[in-house]
Amino acid sequence: MATMTDQALPVRPAAAPTRRNPLRSEAKWGYIYALPAVLVLAVFVIYPFASIIVHAFTRWDGFTDPTFIGLRNFQFLLQDQTFIAALRNNIYFALSVPIQLTLPLGLAFLIHQRIRGWRFFRWTYFLPAIYSTVVLGVLARLALQVDGPLNQVLSTIGLGGLSRDWLGDASTAMPSILAIFVWANFGYNVVLFLAGMSSIDPQLPEAARIDGASQLQVLRHVFVPGLRRVMEIVLVTSTINAFAYMFTYVFTITNGGPGFSTFVVEFDIYNNAFAFQKLGYACAMGLAITVLISGLGFLQIRALTGGRE
Amino acid sequence: MRNSVVRPAPLRWVLIAGMSALAVSAVFPLLFMLQAAFRTQADWAASKIGLPTTFSLDAFARAWVQASIGTYFVNSVIVTVGAVTLSVALAATAGYAFSAIQWRGRTFAYFFILAWMAIPPLLLMVPIYVEMTDLGLVDTYWSVILLYSALNLPFNMYLMTAFFRAVPRELLEAARVDGASVNLIFIRIMLPLSIPAIATLVIFNALYVWNEFVFALLLLHDDSVRTLTVGVNQLVGKFFFDYPALLAGMLITSVPMVVVYVVFQRYLVRAISAGALK
Repeated sequence: MATMTDQALPVRPAAAPTRRNPLRSEAKWGYIYALPAVLVLAVFVIYPFASIIVHAFTRWDGFTDPTFIGLRNFQFLLQDQTFIAALRNNIYFALSVPIQLTLPLGLAFLIHQRIRGWRFFRWTYFLPAIYSTVVLGVLARLALQVDGPLNQVLSTIGLGGLSRDWLGDASTAMPSILAIFVWANFGYNVVLFLAGMSSIDPQLPEAARIDGASQLQVLRHVFVPGLRRVMEIVLVTSTINAFAYMFTYVFTITNGGPGFSTFVVEFDIYNNAFAFQKLGYACAMGLAITVLISGLGFLQIRALTGGRE
Repeated sequence: MRNSVVRPAPLRWVLIAGMSALAVSAVFPLLFMLQAAFRTQADWAASKIGLPTTFSLDAFARAWVQASIGTYFVNSVIVTVGAVTLSVALAATAGYAFSAIQWRGRTFAYFFILAWMAIPPLLLMVPIYVEMTDLGLVDTYWSVILLYSALNLPFNMYLMTAFFRAVPRELLEAARVDGASVNLIFIRIMLPLSIPAIATLVIFNALYVWNEFVFALLLLHDDSVRTLTVGVNQLVGKFFFDYPALLAGMLITSVPMVVVYVVFQRYLVRAISAGALK
């Protein structure tokens, strides 16, 4: 996303000579038109980001001035069992990235090939991205309760033995959240892949088919290479989602429980900052995760683009 | 040709069945809320699944009035309209500066804004909260309006710039020769031409702002400014034994964006595709 492959900005041909020094009088307007956007971004995104970098190296309770403590926050982070457990859960969610890549790719391929009902599939698959995550989370929590609809359905169809307290047990709470997370995101990725597929020259897969390639071979050797850009985006955003967009799911579905078993890093940041007044420590967590995500994103793009060249 | 995507027929039907199951699951939340929200509490207690035997709007009344969903709804509308308008306006003016005006540093400024597209905002929640407190914006619409605008700005600006760059140079040159000022060209030529791009961004941003939860939770504590997503989460505690009212509240939260999707699907898909194909 930050990697831009844009062509150079088009240079306007020299202005008509009828006006006096048109370039200089225009340049002023360039700054005037760009300034409001730069200002809003600087105040509400760039300043907070700079603030995180500075305060990650301080002890700060939010009331008194922060004091510089060097790398102490990060040393503490490495031994903080709550943080490590939370990070482990984020990694668990990140392990779904291959599914988040391949499932939408396959679905988009079938829709792109005009499988029967493709319009209906294309329309409905985006719905999970339309619902608010809060609504999905609350619905999931209701549905998975001990006396909730899922267990009712199970016992109605004679599978009562399978019913359980889905969210009350650590061994089923994590997979439940994971399933909802993957489900909530797949349709968005299908739309991304469809956009990529429609930009591929339709003669390429046609030619491959005439040469006797199977559908899977067409997908593998014609579409996948043409979708590298989209795959990059899906890979990187899915990873970012698993580390930095889990709060709403966890907060609404299990509130981190049972115990700390579904705790995630954002939750830990939230608690440290707003319950324990350890703002400096929370900033250190935020910085550590930002660095981790950037590193992973860099590796993923390297793996995709470097693998074949 | 097109009908035989997958050659062996049995496999084809398995795939179609699987895809249909996914499609049903995608519609299910909506159907579930619908079948529960129009019931009475007694009907819900009797059976939680299946078709309702009663039709009543009481649950909506309870949610709208007792749980202040009405207030939250108005707040969500205010915040969404405010944030979308501000962000798209900023993106349009910046996009104009980056595409049609020559000035020193514009390439740098362009990429500088763009670089913030992938920053995960939740990791910034501590400094954002502190900053909003210092500015006295906590518990005001402005806190989230300004923040959402800023977070959406890099993508919006990217799309507007790309769109403006596609406007034929000759058109701008002709207007200049005729003596049109920078401002007049923006208002009379660029803005009218960019209505499709603006519509795309409005829909795309509205979806994000309407559904955003964490910063609304963090920055809007007072009931008078709270938005729907935070309000709905509170409903769980308030209506723990009144599921029809709870689901009515969630339905009220979901329906506006579902309607937007039904009507403006084209624009949403265009925004996402533009992000994918840049």
